[in-house]
Amino acid sequence: MPPRLRSCNLSPSTASSPISSNASVRPQCISQPARSLREFSQSPCPQTTLRRRRFYEWMNGPGRQLKEPLPSSTNYLGAYDRYGNLVRAGPGWSREKAKQAAGGEDQPAMKVEEVKADTDADGEATKVPEGQEDLDALEKAIREGEAEEKEAKTPPKDEEHDSKLPPETAEDLRPFPLNQYFRSQPVLSEDLREAIYQRVKRDGATVSLASVEFGVSNERVGAVVRLKQMEKEWVAQGKHLAIPYSKAVLDMLPTTPYVDSIKPANKGKRPITHEPINDLIVHPATRQQLFVPVSESRHFTRVDAGKAFDNNLQPADARIPHPELVQAERELAQGLSFEERRRLAEERLAKEQAEKRRIEEKKQEEIRAQKVVPQRRWDFVFKDVSVDAVGRDGRSHKGVGWRYGVPHDDRKKSVVKIPTKVEA
Amino acid sequence: MPRKKPRFHSLKKLNVRQDWSRWSLYSISQLRAPNVTTKTYFQQKWAAKASTRAYHGEQLREKKWKRQFKRSLPAVVPMEHKYLARYDGSEQAAGRGMGADSEDKKRTPPMTPYMQMTYYPLERRLDTAIFRALFASSVRQARQFVVHGLVNVNGKKMIYPGYQLNPGDMFQVEPSSVMFATGAQKTRSSLARKITREKAAARAEEREKNPARPPPHTSAVESTRDEPTPAELKKHMQALIEQVDELLEEDVKAKDKQKFRSFRQSVKKAISLWKTANPETISTLDTQFEFLKTQIAERSAAPSPKDPSAAAEPLISEEDQVKLRSAFEKLRLETEHTSAWNPKRNNAAPYATPWRPRDYMSAFAFIPRYLEVNQNICAAVYLRHPVARPGLAEVPTPFHIETGQLAFNWYLRRR
Repeated sequence: MPPRLRSCNLSPSTASSPISSNASVRPQCISQPARSLREFSQSPCPQTTLRRRRFYEWMNGPGRQLKEPLPSSTNYLGAYDRYGNLVRAGPGWSREKAKQAAGGEDQPAMKVEEVKADTDADGEATKVPEGQEDLDALEKAIREGEAEEKEAKTPPKDEEHDSKLPPETAEDLRPFPLNQYFRSQPVLSEDLREAIYQRVKRDGATVSLASVEFGVSNERVGAVVRLKQMEKEWVAQGKHLAIPYSKAVLDMLPTTPYVDSIKPANKGKRPITHEPINDLIVHPATRQQLFVPVSESRHFTRVDAGKAFDNNLQPADARIPHPELVQAERELAQGLSFEERRRLAEERLAKEQAEKRRIEEKKQEEIRAQKVVPQRRWDFVFKDVSVDAVGRDGRSHKGVGWRYGVPHDDRKKSVVKIPTKVEA
Repeated sequence: MPRKKPRFHSLKKLNVRQDWSRWSLYSISQLRAPNVTTKTYFQQKWAAKASTRAYHGEQLREKKWKRQFKRSLPAVVPMEHKYLARYDGSEQAAGRGMGADSEDKKRTPPMTPYMQMTYYPLERRLDTAIFRALFASSVRQARQFVVHGLVNVNGKKMIYPGYQLNPGDMFQVEPSSVMFATGAQKTRSSLARKITREKAAARAEEREKNPARPPPHTSAVESTRDEPTPAELKKHMQALIEQVDELLEEDVKAKDKQKFRSFRQSVKKAISLWKTANPETISTLDTQFEFLKTQIAERSAAPSPKDPSAAAEPLISEEDQVKLRSAFEKLRLETEHTSAWNPKRNNAAPYATPWRPRDYMSAFAFIPRYLEVNQNICAAVYLRHPVARPGLAEVPTPFHIETGQLAFNWYLRRR
């Protein structure tokens, strides 16, 4: 674990006096004598090896902080330095006080203004860009929003802000300190899930619209609706939800709060983007570097670049999950009026829905064409098959029925019998 | 004589395993970047492979994993729609001949850590996904859940831990098993056992000393009160509504039972203002609420002449009614479900009651973005395969990027 320095959180008074700062190097770590015995054993272990001693020293020293979750905060290994001190905590913070405060319905989150002032002092607080590109900036915005939410819940109290915990930095969210390319990313909060469900189910918004509105990817919107639907069914059936588990887990994870724009307190606030919604998948054809000589006078666009890599490779505008956003932006740049743009958008939506309906009808048509004979336990379904499905050599796996010389592998010893898909 | 099987968690050879144990935590804290100065390349690769495989899919045989290994690693690049609308890409090729005089400072996006994605095919396995969704405390436990038939995929029982999830698959674990897997273990130290034994003995002694005496006779106090005036009622209801507001504002926490009880008492007090109500008819909170509502509706329907201001506006406005209703609903749901899992003391439960998360769980609690989890029903959806993006790899791996690189190179089979 690379050592983390607690430079930013040293208060000016301690920084100025070297003696007191030396004294405050290990304030949070309770130095306990290494327990001579385990919980179950009464006798001291005579032959503790060096390794075991070190293990228990670490578990009773720095590891002690990780045993129980921090109240309403994440608690990862990356947030501590090698002595078990919480790096982001101010000098006045202590775990016991935080726990008491949480017990007495008060949450230890520093006020957002203070945090912002702190980061301004560090000189790293830049204006959060609206863009989708910078993941770090996105997640920082989420964290600030979360802190704000927590602050809004707590009644305002005149306390010294030393005793509160500032929101996490990107480093504090590393469960594996050595892997700097992985961090615990925020999950949707309960309120946000409910809001997405209501928007789609009650208001009838399309998935892509909800995705743009909440800053949540298309697939996630679909999944949230599906899971919420199931949750409501459980409640209706009287099954017991795992609420204690849910609360404990969501308390340990970073969450994206829901900014309800209807509430008067949130007037003028933008909804917090959960994740980048326009992810472009890296096409395998573009993995290699390509040198294409092009005359300087030629207008060489993205479309041409795609063609150079692969003849079937479409430009990014068509391959991202929300091409309609690009289209809308282009129309805005063309200077079309609001009514005009609205009409165009409606036309596009109608076209899309017609296409969807057509596909759905085709599927229904196919199902209707099948002959179904209901039986006691199973239904027999008759489908039309083609003899040509066996392929040229007659050995294609798509062929139907028993063919001479082509054995069924499905009961053979070395063939994998795990299903490859389960119909939803 | 066969070789002794090595310990799963050994302090001699520190291995990070996919579980929430203190040994794994200690091993993570002791991990270092690979030693590249004194070892040969082969040795480096071997060591990297050994340590990463001890974490990723250690329950699989090497050959099974080797067949799954893919050298092409998936990645995405986040695009900005505004940029795509404004430029058609030709501006990137613009040189001095196109009139571009000065070179603008180009933003370099952070590096895409492909090399941390070596083990991404294993994240598709059902058992690993259950562990990543925080439904089991280790991959082996998740595997056991699957084999024991406690897991459904898309509503059908799936007994193969090696099932490769497809994007959009929903998997669901039995909530009682999840509570067991993630809850604190039910152990009692010898000291705690001794204390309870002593207490029981003391209680028995006490009982022997003074035998039970009949409970003192308490006469039911009949409240002789008149019908309340509308003004009084209104005041009372307003107090109630304020209380509801408070309840709605704050999240109901561990102390929710106490709050719920006090709230219910205040409701009872409000009801006791009417003589007509008897406790049997209004035993549940729901019926209590219905009762309150109908009574108030009657009262407001027949306006009393002496208090015109109260009659002009109904005692409970529409908005307040909605608030009351939602508060009732929320409280009812939470207390019902929480008390179902946390009875006062349940020796039959396989976890320590009342339920609390297992030790060291918070250090391992993260949910990768390729899963969407609903903790209430212990179900999750596998959204897509894990990908690398600039500055971030979605496969959770505790190792240094150089270790990942060496392990990837091992499986390229050019050694």
